[in-house]
Amino acid sequence: MKAKDIMEPIKDTLRPQTTIKEAIKQMKLARRGEQRVGVKGMVVLDSDGNLIGMLSIKDILRAIIPEYMTMAELGEFTWEGMLEKMAKRVENMKVEEVMTKKVITVNENAPLMEVADIIIKHNLQRVPVLGKDGKPVGIIYVRDLYWALVKALLGEEV
Amino acid sequence: MLILKILEQREAFHVEELGVDWNVIFLLISMMTIINLMRPTGFFEYIAIKSAKWGKGEPFRIMAIFAVVTAVLSALLDNVTTVLLLAPVTLLIADALEVDPIPFLISEALASNIGGTATLIGDPPNIMIASKAKLNFMDFIINLTPPVIIIMIIFLFVLKIFFGKKLHVKPELKKRVLEMNEREAIKDPVMLKKSLFVLGVVILGFVFHGMLHYEPATVALFGAGLLLLISGTHDPHHYLAEVEWPTIFFFMGLFIIIGGVVKVGLIKWLSVKVLAITHGNMFATSMLVMWFSAFASAFVDNIPYVATMNPLIIDMAKQLWPHLQGIQLLHNPELMPLWWSLALGACLGGNGTAIGASANVIVVGLAERAGRKISFVRFMFYGMPIMILTVFLSMIYVWLRYYVLKF
Repeated sequence: MKAKDIMEPIKDTLRPQTTIKEAIKQMKLARRGEQRVGVKGMVVLDSDGNLIGMLSIKDILRAIIPEYMTMAELGEFTWEGMLEKMAKRVENMKVEEVMTKKVITVNENAPLMEVADIIIKHNLQRVPVLGKDGKPVGIIYVRDLYWALVKALLGEEV
Repeated sequence: MLILKILEQREAFHVEELGVDWNVIFLLISMMTIINLMRPTGFFEYIAIKSAKWGKGEPFRIMAIFAVVTAVLSALLDNVTTVLLLAPVTLLIADALEVDPIPFLISEALASNIGGTATLIGDPPNIMIASKAKLNFMDFIINLTPPVIIIMIIFLFVLKIFFGKKLHVKPELKKRVLEMNEREAIKDPVMLKKSLFVLGVVILGFVFHGMLHYEPATVALFGAGLLLLISGTHDPHHYLAEVEWPTIFFFMGLFIIIGGVVKVGLIKWLSVKVLAITHGNMFATSMLVMWFSAFASAFVDNIPYVATMNPLIIDMAKQLWPHLQGIQLLHNPELMPLWWSLALGACLGGNGTAIGASANVIVVGLAERAGRKISFVRFMFYGMPIMILTVFLSMIYVWLRYYVLKF
């Protein structure tokens, strides 16, 4: 089996100029399969359909933590309501300011072992799959890969 | 310089007048190592949170206390480190109080340059002046600490006039600061005690180094070595790797360039010109050095500036008193005010603009990363008046102490 056999086709994408608040709404309503159940990460495409980034819930959480807290050990000195306040600060930021720009991808014809290797090495939750023209066609989640393994061990009975 | 043989490698490495000033290099490396070992203990966060609580959550009180803490720490450590350690806490406190952090950050940068002027180890220009002019730690304490204390008091008054009435916050926001427990900042109490002990030993060593005839770098190297030893760390490599090597190599390169410039005689030519302007009048020369240093340091880095001025002053002295040499030349009573004018001008001049001193550059950079841009003009709006005021006060001090009262 190859990457394209287990990936979920991409149906919803984000644009770099979208605000974070709007992106959050889109992520909440994004499709997984046929249902609008929401996703925890989406690809960001430019106007030609090229992959330029990934926005995940972790990127958004990272954006609301002020820079000074990463510079010094200040976690003990926060206050009630600080997270909510900081969230307000990022709502009008653009997707491109917050997204992960260096996206690790796999080719649609990559063997599953290669995909597994990449996901574990880089501690990823999901990896976009690129088609022949270099444009993203799907996403493989850790779970999809795990199901491939489960199938191999337990057969079709699951 | 080396490839063109303007300066031979032997001269660059081994000749005191022309080459790399190893005293400066090793003093910087040692102090950086001590700070690298101290930083993870949480000491600086503790001090900053404690200060904010001591300020009772009142923004202006906090600003004033932070300025004083920055000045004192800058006098004992280098300015960049001090600002780098205090700025994150400042941003946190400003967020907690929901006030604009920029006045706090700028006042800290200014205070760090003022405080750094006070001691031999406070600011790189002083380290370089001390090494070239063979001045010791106590010389700086006796001659520069008193005016810096006066300047600092007046600086606080100016802050009060600017911000004293403007800053007010609601009681519930103050509570956020007051509820912080500074003790939680301390990550490694044992190491903290060891570092404070060594820092104490080093400062004591500096106080007595002149009497005991040790170079400051020897004292600092001893301190860094001692702390590495008693810290029980299994990874000294890590702390040594964290020394800011780009800065160290910048200094080495700079010394070699200046060595070349001195050797070809450019500095000597300049010194003749300066003496021609002031007609050899020492008071006029002091004032020229001070004000020129201040404005020069406001726009260019004061480190290369002082590296150039040191040989220039020595050359001037050689022309004025050709029969003297060595310590008698360098410590000629008529020459001494020149060294202090250079130190005051170059260190305080750094306050003039956002690029005048490393601490300013760091503060502007941090503010920008925190999403608060400080424009060049806005910094100058605060910095330039403070620079002119402080240099003016220094001028009165130099005039009174060395030319009127003469002690």
